[in-house]
Amino acid sequence: MPPKSRIALGATSIARTWQRLGVLAALVLLVIAASLLSHRFLTVPNLMNVLRQVSIVGILAIGMTFVILARGIDLSVGSILGIAVVLFAGSMDSRGMLVSIPLGMGAAALAGLVNGVGVAYGGLPPFIMTLGMLSFARGLAFIYTGGTPIPINNESFYAFGNGYFAGVPIPSLILIATLIVSGFVLQLTPFGRSVYAIGSNDEAARLSGVPVKAYTTLVYVISGFLAGLAGLVYASQLSIGTPIAGQGYELDAIAAVVVGGTSLFGGKGSVAGTFLGTLIIGVLANILNLTGVDPFVQQLFKGALIVAAVFIMSRTKR
Amino acid sequence: MPEETGEVRERFRPLLRAVGVGKAFVGNRVLDGVDLDVMPGEVHAIVGENGAGKSTLIKILGGVYQPDDGQLVVDGEARRFRSPREALSAGVVVIHQELSLAPSLSAEENIFLGRFPRNAFGVIDRGLMRAHTRQVFEQLGITVAPQDIVATLSIAQQQMVEIAKAILADARILVLDEPTAVLDENRVDILFATIERLRAKGIGIVFISHHLEEIFRIADKVTVLRDGRVTGSAKVAEVNQDWLVARMIGRSFVAHEPHARRVRQPALAIRNLSVPGEVSDITLTVSEGEIVGLAGLVGAGRTELARSVIGLSGPVSGAIEVFGRTVRIRSPNAAARLGIAYVTEDRKAQGLLPNRSVRENATIANLRRFARWGILRLATEARYAREMVKRLDVRLASPGVEIRTLSGGNQQKVLIGRALAIEPRILLLDEPTRGVDIGAKQEIYAAIERLVADGMAVMLISSDLEEVLRLSDRIVVLRRGRVAATLSRAEASESAIMRAAALAA
Repeated sequence: MPPKSRIALGATSIARTWQRLGVLAALVLLVIAASLLSHRFLTVPNLMNVLRQVSIVGILAIGMTFVILARGIDLSVGSILGIAVVLFAGSMDSRGMLVSIPLGMGAAALAGLVNGVGVAYGGLPPFIMTLGMLSFARGLAFIYTGGTPIPINNESFYAFGNGYFAGVPIPSLILIATLIVSGFVLQLTPFGRSVYAIGSNDEAARLSGVPVKAYTTLVYVISGFLAGLAGLVYASQLSIGTPIAGQGYELDAIAAVVVGGTSLFGGKGSVAGTFLGTLIIGVLANILNLTGVDPFVQQLFKGALIVAAVFIMSRTKR
Repeated sequence: MPEETGEVRERFRPLLRAVGVGKAFVGNRVLDGVDLDVMPGEVHAIVGENGAGKSTLIKILGGVYQPDDGQLVVDGEARRFRSPREALSAGVVVIHQELSLAPSLSAEENIFLGRFPRNAFGVIDRGLMRAHTRQVFEQLGITVAPQDIVATLSIAQQQMVEIAKAILADARILVLDEPTAVLDENRVDILFATIERLRAKGIGIVFISHHLEEIFRIADKVTVLRDGRVTGSAKVAEVNQDWLVARMIGRSFVAHEPHARRVRQPALAIRNLSVPGEVSDITLTVSEGEIVGLAGLVGAGRTELARSVIGLSGPVSGAIEVFGRTVRIRSPNAAARLGIAYVTEDRKAQGLLPNRSVRENATIANLRRFARWGILRLATEARYAREMVKRLDVRLASPGVEIRTLSGGNQQKVLIGRALAIEPRILLLDEPTRGVDIGAKQEIYAAIERLVADGMAVMLISSDLEEVLRLSDRIVVLRRGRVAATLSRAEASESAIMRAAALAA
């Protein structure tokens, strides 16, 4: 028995290493291919451009990772981003940044709280609860703006989406800071550890004394809050608050999480993986742009990538 | 009167016979030379301890397994069922404890599922369906409306629907696998009334039950199985409970050396505890340095009692004292703070974090212990995991492997290690060796005894009588949610436990 189980253990650890390295390896391969396909790819301005382009979806995807790790899903992040954006725009010129930013972020976190309470305490399936919020928050954004985009005239706010710090785009720095804090929380705090436990077996977590309902709620609050943060970057980049901001972004975020190796069945994955997944999708889009591939055709590549990534991961499992 | 003679002969020919039926799984003989006759209009009870071979026999009768030797004879004709479908077409229907109805369909739809009567347009003939259902319900004294949705029916009513379904499918032999285990006493009466009607219709019934007094109420004949063999078969009227118990147990129990345990102050005292619908008026005490065994049949309320102690059932009445202090425990967390840990009987559903590491599984119940300023100290955590692996003799390559890769016994040890991480003084173990191989069993026993020697108060829930007898200082037997007996080590024996657990007072 022992030799056999040792072999089995060896096999699983190889599979796990491959899973972890697999995402990274895929990114490296993609970068090599991209630099061969276009001499413009491996240039600092282009790479910085990629990094800036992925920051909004990247931030959303990190929030989504929390939810998916806890075996949930958050379909409302695009709409929550939208409501944050219109609130930023609506209050920025009249009240200033110091009021406007907490207002928009607070509203986003509040929407997350509603999701979390509905799921954890109301017992609603996450899919349904956040589907409802997707529609509801979008509706509020339209009502608030009356359907017309609101312009933002604030020089210092403009920096969040467009500025550079030490040559790196500020939105990318926001993404990286989010990544580091989230990784820290998930790997090194009792809360983070409990999120994995809830996703792995919520009943076992409950019996172990994990405050499952409170933590499940918190996970959606985090997702909502980060959608607000992504909204901050969005509003700043465009300097305009449009009620359709972030439409469909939830699916891009889910795609990044999945490509990054996080299991939709919960309890397995990491924000580092999600970050790599975000980059893979971003680099793919970039190289398709650089080589002049029709945007319609680009959609095909993206779709194929998502399916292929999950297919490969399901093969390497076990 | 030739007609009557023919009928008499018909009545005396068994509907179903098993002749010398044997079955082995990978060399392990679970049934050996079992004979069984079921006559028309007869209730034939099968009794035996867990593992006696009852479920294997049922599966052979129902066509799930094929016997290795011996044969089944239906209506005087040797038959070999290769599937439940073939058993069904021969008129043998097994009604399992877990019912197989579609909950969102109505009673009548369930009864006719797969063979709906159709009218001239090929559409389901609801009128005909309802008429047939009404008729059979009436015959069997079933008071369910045919159009009622199954999910809204009680378990007892669902059983009735399943029986009616079998009858409408022309079943002549019904095998009822522990039908009363899920019923309260009033419902048992209703079921028995239905069984009487089936008997009057000439249906042959095989009836499995752990509750011996039910055998005397309803059965005509009884066959006792032990270790896969028939140890007795008789008319119920000619035997008594002692006869049954003696044949169920068979071997004389070798008493273990009483452990030199120093029993100290009472740790957990439960007084008149009741949880509506689960347990009533339970009083028992577990002291430091002692193991109190909690025996009883499945469904007697043992797990429910443990769950209520750790705050997992709704409102309870009565009192719980922990080290002399009366407490109200509302959550596992609150229980943990009082030093009470529970190890679940259902590893898979309630215990394991399957795709997380052994280390994470071991520490999840008390992460606070491994954190400082809200940050996990991974080195401290890893040290605990290593010590736990050593202390409980967990066999694994490294604490970093996913727990699902471990054997059942080693998973169980990790779950005990998880409970120990809260540094409990009272440990509630629910079936700690279920699904564990013999070697690991001994290791778990040794670990439990070491904990007790260090002063742990242990409540041991187990259906394994040998285990309870071996480990316990005292044994409390529950029966239908109540304390049926409290046995000292000197009084305890398998037959004493079985009597208390299975017989009416």
